Amino acid sequence: MGSFAAYLAWLAVAVFVFMVIYRFIKFNSMPLHLRWELYPLPLEPKHHHGGSYMEEVDYVRKPRHHIRINGILDMASEVFLLKKVKEYNKYGMWPFSFCMHWGIYLMCFWAVLLVVEEVFNWGAISPLSNVVGAVAIIAGAFGSLGLILKRVGIAELAAYTAPVDYFNLFFLLAIFATGIIAWVTDPYFFDDARAYVAGAVTLQPVTVPFWVALQFLIFELFLLYMPFSKLFHYVAKYFTIDKVLWDDILNVKGSAVDKKITSQLSYKLTWAGPHIVPGKTWVEEVEIVDAREGK
Amino acid sequence: MALEVSIRDIARPNDDPLVSLSMRDLIDLPGLDEEPPLEPTPKKFIDKYEMSLDGHCCIGIPKPKSKEEEDFLVRRFLSGLEKLFNSEDSWTFKQALRLSFDYCVKCQTCNEACHAYLASGRKEIYRPTYRSEILRRIWKKYFTPEGKLLGKFVGADVDVNWRTVTRLAELGHRCTLCRRCAQRCPMGVDNALIARELRKLFSQELGIAPIEILEKGCVQHLRVGSSTGMSPSGFKEAVEFLEEDIGDRIGKKIKIPVDKKGAEILLIHNAGEFLSWPENPEAFAILFEAAGISWTLASEAVGYDAVNYGLWNDDVELARVAVRHVKIAKSLGCRKIVVGECGHATKALVVIADRVLAGELSSSEVERECCLPLLWEIIRSGAIKFDPSKNNFPVTLHDPCNMVRAMGVVKPQRLALKAIAPQFREMAPNGVYNYCCGGGSGYAIIQSFNFPQWRNKIGARMKMRQTLEAFKNELDPVKYPFKYLCAPCSNCKGTIRDAITHYGLWDKFRINYGGLVELMVNAMVDIDRPFIEYEDFH
Repeated sequence: MGSFAAYLAWLAVAVFVFMVIYRFIKFNSMPLHLRWELYPLPLEPKHHHGGSYMEEVDYVRKPRHHIRINGILDMASEVFLLKKVKEYNKYGMWPFSFCMHWGIYLMCFWAVLLVVEEVFNWGAISPLSNVVGAVAIIAGAFGSLGLILKRVGIAELAAYTAPVDYFNLFFLLAIFATGIIAWVTDPYFFDDARAYVAGAVTLQPVTVPFWVALQFLIFELFLLYMPFSKLFHYVAKYFTIDKVLWDDILNVKGSAVDKKITSQLSYKLTWAGPHIVPGKTWVEEVEIVDAREGK
Repeated sequence: MALEVSIRDIARPNDDPLVSLSMRDLIDLPGLDEEPPLEPTPKKFIDKYEMSLDGHCCIGIPKPKSKEEEDFLVRRFLSGLEKLFNSEDSWTFKQALRLSFDYCVKCQTCNEACHAYLASGRKEIYRPTYRSEILRRIWKKYFTPEGKLLGKFVGADVDVNWRTVTRLAELGHRCTLCRRCAQRCPMGVDNALIARELRKLFSQELGIAPIEILEKGCVQHLRVGSSTGMSPSGFKEAVEFLEEDIGDRIGKKIKIPVDKKGAEILLIHNAGEFLSWPENPEAFAILFEAAGISWTLASEAVGYDAVNYGLWNDDVELARVAVRHVKIAKSLGCRKIVVGECGHATKALVVIADRVLAGELSSSEVERECCLPLLWEIIRSGAIKFDPSKNNFPVTLHDPCNMVRAMGVVKPQRLALKAIAPQFREMAPNGVYNYCCGGGSGYAIIQSFNFPQWRNKIGARMKMRQTLEAFKNELDPVKYPFKYLCAPCSNCKGTIRDAITHYGLWDKFRINYGGLVELMVNAMVDIDRPFIEYEDFH
């Protein structure tokens, strides 16, 4: 069992990393879409009033630039503070969502700290890793349980929540709740957790109390599962925001965008509407005035 | 407490509307004691057309008469849904749609941003996530392995029958695509885009769309020359009328340039202006003439009508119209296209179509701009002398979503108003956080069936509320006999005109509306009479 869990840990991390990269590439390789940006656009120098370069006459001839740091700060405020949920969600989801997300962040950070402790023999960071682990499981359990109760108890949320969404939340709750049980039942919880991770890293597993092993086992399974689920939204979010809502790149003749668009205009359509002639490329299709004349 | 209507009710097999609209539920309009009631759905419509969404319709899909017709609708709907995710058929929005489809966490944070949802008294079917979730569940059920394998567990549980299809077609037209919901989404999910792509499915696969948008809109635009039905010869007559009318209004003769080769700017108006608000293109002509701008209109079919109704529901039509606009500008040797006061036309040509206009048609070859920065530049440069005291009446500004939230053109119109209208005040909220006029995405031009009632009561309700609040201290028509709601967008003006009429705001409070250019001409020192007709509401 211990060996299995140790191998599973390596497998989980490997699959997780592979899938993140694989799906990132998949998202990135989708066709370039039409511009569909939305203001205020944090990268824009005029973002404080929601403005864009299109506020100026002859903007095509003027230099444009993005303030990347503003984009990073805006993205960070969403990732770490869940700013929009806090500001706009009327169902009071923010404290729970905030705690659940920080539970996940800190759980991952805790695992990293434990690995670092083992690999570099840095016992000095043990107090820090203990605190991180404790906060992770408390915040995560509070948050995921709260979100489950919110979704069950509020009709507008329940109606849109599929069983798989509850499954995801219970999966998370299981990680954190087993952690709390392990902490409560094992006076040497943090040392045992450290020993478990050390065993997994070196592939020389040690025996630890059941609840400690179970918590890490569930966490490993979660790492395996997450990239295949909607919980993967943290990578998707980069694309929804940076590659769609913030994409204000102007098409200039001969540019990379222009080349990509030119290539995509050679795609063939199969739409069957009466005003469309299927089988033609986009370039050919735009020349048609009234498709019904030829049908 | 159960909701009034569930997601799966979209497949409910009867004529009963999914929701019933009631005056009691609608949000209040401050200062307005009474308003016209909601008229029930006429029986003649119920018998013949699909009305079972909310008792209203804008498309008018006839009820299928046979099993074959029902099956046809279902089959084509599903094939269209599949094509939305096909790279070749739908590269135009595939990535954006895929991401919004797969990663909504259903936190419902977006809902409170929606003017239609709020105005209706939070009717479930207008929730931005309602139609998205239905479409998502259908997709899962019919096209994904997990949906086929795990069914309801993954939410793959919405049945597709002809009712689902026809209700969804209508439901795609209960969102004005203002994208205020997307602004609030912590995930960057865009439910308005999903609504837009749902419309695209119907338009591009089944040819189903409101007649004003596809048949009399795009198709007629390309075939005849304008969505108004105006041919090139009709356009030339319209220009002659404008020249005469300018003479009558300001006592000066102005020759409007048409097809002037080598002009710096090709100005394209929404052709609806020539018919409904000729003072708007007239004002542009007066301003451009006075400012010494090199400009022209085009008389070639399509070139004198900036509208691009493909923006709302059809990528193919969007591309066809945009390419013609740019080719006409090139043939005239114009350096730049400036789109008049029409929000959707501006966004379509300047932003969205930027990526169907490649190579010789790209932005660097033919520049394309919104008119508002140029209007501010005319004021800022001092090329024309303005006397703001000529506009000494309360003025507020409606921000057209397409120019503001979708393009980031926020300041020029404000700077202009601050320079020429001493009693200018903002609505709240405003700028990129504004509320839609209620006529976005084509609603302004849809007059079919009983849709105007929905537009006036639900769509435009929030904008009328904002307007009344902006003028709350000046509502008295005796003390304040003229108030001006500035809406520099044809579609917004159309909606606002109808809504002001519906609620009687001109008769009761003397609230009028119009564009920015009319105010500018009204303030010109060189013109010795008012350009705005203070007693006229049209």
